[in-house]
Amino acid sequence: MHQLNYLKRAVSIIFTFITISSLYSCKKKINPSQNITIASSGKIESIDPARANTMKTYQLLNALGDTLYELNNEGELIPKLAASKPIISKDKLKISIMLKKNILFHDGTPFDSSSMKFTIKRFQNIGTLNYILNKKIKSIETPTKEILIINLNHPSSSIEGLLTSINLTPISPNFYKDHFDKFLNNNFIGTGKYKLKRFSNEIQVLSPNTSYWNNKPKNNGINFIGYNSSSTLYGAFISKQVDVLLSNSIEDTLRYKLNLLNKKNDIQESKSKPIEISFISLRTNKIPLNNIHMRLAIAKSLNRELIINKVSFNLRTLSTSLIPLILKNGNSVSWPDFDPKESIRIFKEQGYCNGNIFNLPLTYRSNVPTDKLIAFYWQQSVKSEMKDCFSISINGVESTTIYKNLSKGIYPAVILDWTGTYSDPEAYLSPLLSCNKFIRNNCLKGESVFSGSFWASEKVEKLFKESENLYGFQRLDKLLEIEKIASKSLPYIPIWTSSQKAWSQNYISKPIFNGAGIINMSELFKNEK
Amino acid sequence: MKSNIKNVLNYTLIKISLIPLNLWIISSLIFLLLRIAPGDPIDAILGSGADQEARELMRIKLGLNQSIEIQYVNYIKNLINFNLGESLSNQEPVIQIIRNALPATIELGLFSILVAIFIGFPLGYMGLKNKNKKYDYFSRIIGISSYAIPPFWGAMMMQLIFSVILRVLPIGGRFPITEIPHDITGFFILDSILNYDLNAFKGAAYHLILPSLTLGFLLSGIFSRSLRLNLEKSYKSDYIDAAICRGIDQKNILLNYAFPNALIPIFTITGFAIASLAGGALLIEVTFSWPGLALKLQEAILQRDYNLVQGIVIVTSILIILINLLIDIVIAFFDPRIKY
Repeated sequence: MHQLNYLKRAVSIIFTFITISSLYSCKKKINPSQNITIASSGKIESIDPARANTMKTYQLLNALGDTLYELNNEGELIPKLAASKPIISKDKLKISIMLKKNILFHDGTPFDSSSMKFTIKRFQNIGTLNYILNKKIKSIETPTKEILIINLNHPSSSIEGLLTSINLTPISPNFYKDHFDKFLNNNFIGTGKYKLKRFSNEIQVLSPNTSYWNNKPKNNGINFIGYNSSSTLYGAFISKQVDVLLSNSIEDTLRYKLNLLNKKNDIQESKSKPIEISFISLRTNKIPLNNIHMRLAIAKSLNRELIINKVSFNLRTLSTSLIPLILKNGNSVSWPDFDPKESIRIFKEQGYCNGNIFNLPLTYRSNVPTDKLIAFYWQQSVKSEMKDCFSISINGVESTTIYKNLSKGIYPAVILDWTGTYSDPEAYLSPLLSCNKFIRNNCLKGESVFSGSFWASEKVEKLFKESENLYGFQRLDKLLEIEKIASKSLPYIPIWTSSQKAWSQNYISKPIFNGAGIINMSELFKNEK
Repeated sequence: MKSNIKNVLNYTLIKISLIPLNLWIISSLIFLLLRIAPGDPIDAILGSGADQEARELMRIKLGLNQSIEIQYVNYIKNLINFNLGESLSNQEPVIQIIRNALPATIELGLFSILVAIFIGFPLGYMGLKNKNKKYDYFSRIIGISSYAIPPFWGAMMMQLIFSVILRVLPIGGRFPITEIPHDITGFFILDSILNYDLNAFKGAAYHLILPSLTLGFLLSGIFSRSLRLNLEKSYKSDYIDAAICRGIDQKNILLNYAFPNALIPIFTITGFAIASLAGGALLIEVTFSWPGLALKLQEAILQRDYNLVQGIVIVTSILIILINLLIDIVIAFFDPRIKY
């Protein structure tokens, strides 16, 4: 009987040993790929440029295709598939673009003006974000294979920025002929440095395009993988199952840990210029927030430094602007700074304080962890600095519900963020401030309704129209004037701007971002050492 | 015996004939609930920056401009024709999305139940055998822990130990990045066996270990507790006393008398466990980035993708109804005392 027990124990020990050793034998094989593995949060539902609307998809399409132009880190327009900068007619209604020659799509067909026309037409036809283009373009001409002419309905200086849009990445008309009016979600034929080798919602494998017209990639290929949770992304990176971690949605505590690892030189960290803005939208069409003094008092109660310190561990950039600095050559517009004493003074002036406390219901997106923390720290800061005058009650609502209800004017104050759909100041100002129909400062129909502020200004609308006729610094001045008016009227209170971030193992070259917050995957390589 | 088979057949036919009614109720409820819920698929598709005109055009394109009544009639008509429609967010046929995601969930579910049985049954049996001794307490603690541990925390701990510290198992996903899975049935383990591809089998198996161990452990408590209770009940029965009196040895009593009788209620519990897997696997699927149906459902709900949510709920309901029916039939065959 004893012998049997010993035998049982021996068998179980051997079994355990075999299991553990077989698991250890796989240890080296977890990431055996010669490719560079890049992990990011979420998944890619569709690789169709007409359907793309997430940063992750833009990132992938940037490696698989080329746009006509690209924005460099200084905000300059750099020709890619275009041979030179666009030529604008005197009446500003015609844009001529010279295209590069001898460029082939991945299927071997040539890239020319008719393929670019096909791409734009298809985007106008089915593109999810086609509203950014449809009102601007009247017609497209292709007099030769190398010349593309875009006729506009009215002068539109923002069209230059639109030409950098990844949604307009040229696609092969031959390959997409059956998909002119429907999406092709799981394949892509463009002109880029990489070809799509494998596509699933979670994993995309890219192989170098050997017949690429420009510099070839410095690596053997890219594995692009999506994980759903921040902890999994972090764990995969720390355990070296992935070479590069690319995510703006990873939780701030984990960003902080990665930042500390970077400081210890255990990993490398890169970041883009800040392109995402976080702000508070104030409903300006109803009392009491229709009163500019009340909005000013609220704006002056926002302790951005405290919030940035506590929520993002100083890893985000304090912002008093609606336009990222990269898009306005560093020109800053002064939004009211934190000044609790002044805020109290204004509240008193408006009949609050001394027992009459103004309560602001602040809504945040419950599925965005940083929003909740912003709301919480602002609430606590107000409680400690100005509890006799001002209080904030916070309420979390799921983001889809918030977006639905914004235009109904349900939320007096709500925390939101925004990244322009193309790299242009107008792509930040117009979705927040423009209004088609308004009475005095109340917007009845327009973008500011959908952003929850309901704010309008006749002067702003005039300046938007004027800016469409201008280019360069003259145009920028007009747009900055719009921002200046907004900073005085306060329909929004900017909180911070965020950068896209990438972390890489030390054996990988440091990722480099372009002006649109996208890393150049083809420049990544594994160090021999 | 013959009349019992006839009764079971009758029962099965009645149950099957009730499926359309069940599905109609479920599909109508989910249709209604989705429309009542706040949020708009247009916002999820276009983002908050789109203008009103673009929103209206998209609404017309997706047929969401029609009245609820018309939308409902069209929806039921499509259902009768076995058409679940297209996903609002990416225009793919809903049935295709489900076909891609369902095998992942079933594969994870099956292996998790196997793990749960593998952990739960020995724990339950040894606990009863060593009643009120150290081993019994140990098995009870393990059983209670499996109920009490939040799935996401359990999953993160498993990732931390096996992927981050020991680095022996992949942290997430369903298949190695470097290989392309054989997609015949969608069940990667089965497909790799059908293709005699050892590498694919190993790849799929290694990715399955952590999520199925985690989910299996979380479910094991149900099996250990129910086996313990039902075995104890069996051992107190007259037929066990009679078997002991006849001089039958303990092993035979366990395997031929106590265990088969204790298993019958466990069949029913297995049915519930499978049904609960549909929702319970969500956190495991999210944490391990397992591309299953629960994860798809969560994404579809967040995007207010009405067609996809409806499709997934209907397919899941059909599966649960059929599994429960199958279990009823199995029980009826194994237990002659049950009459329908």
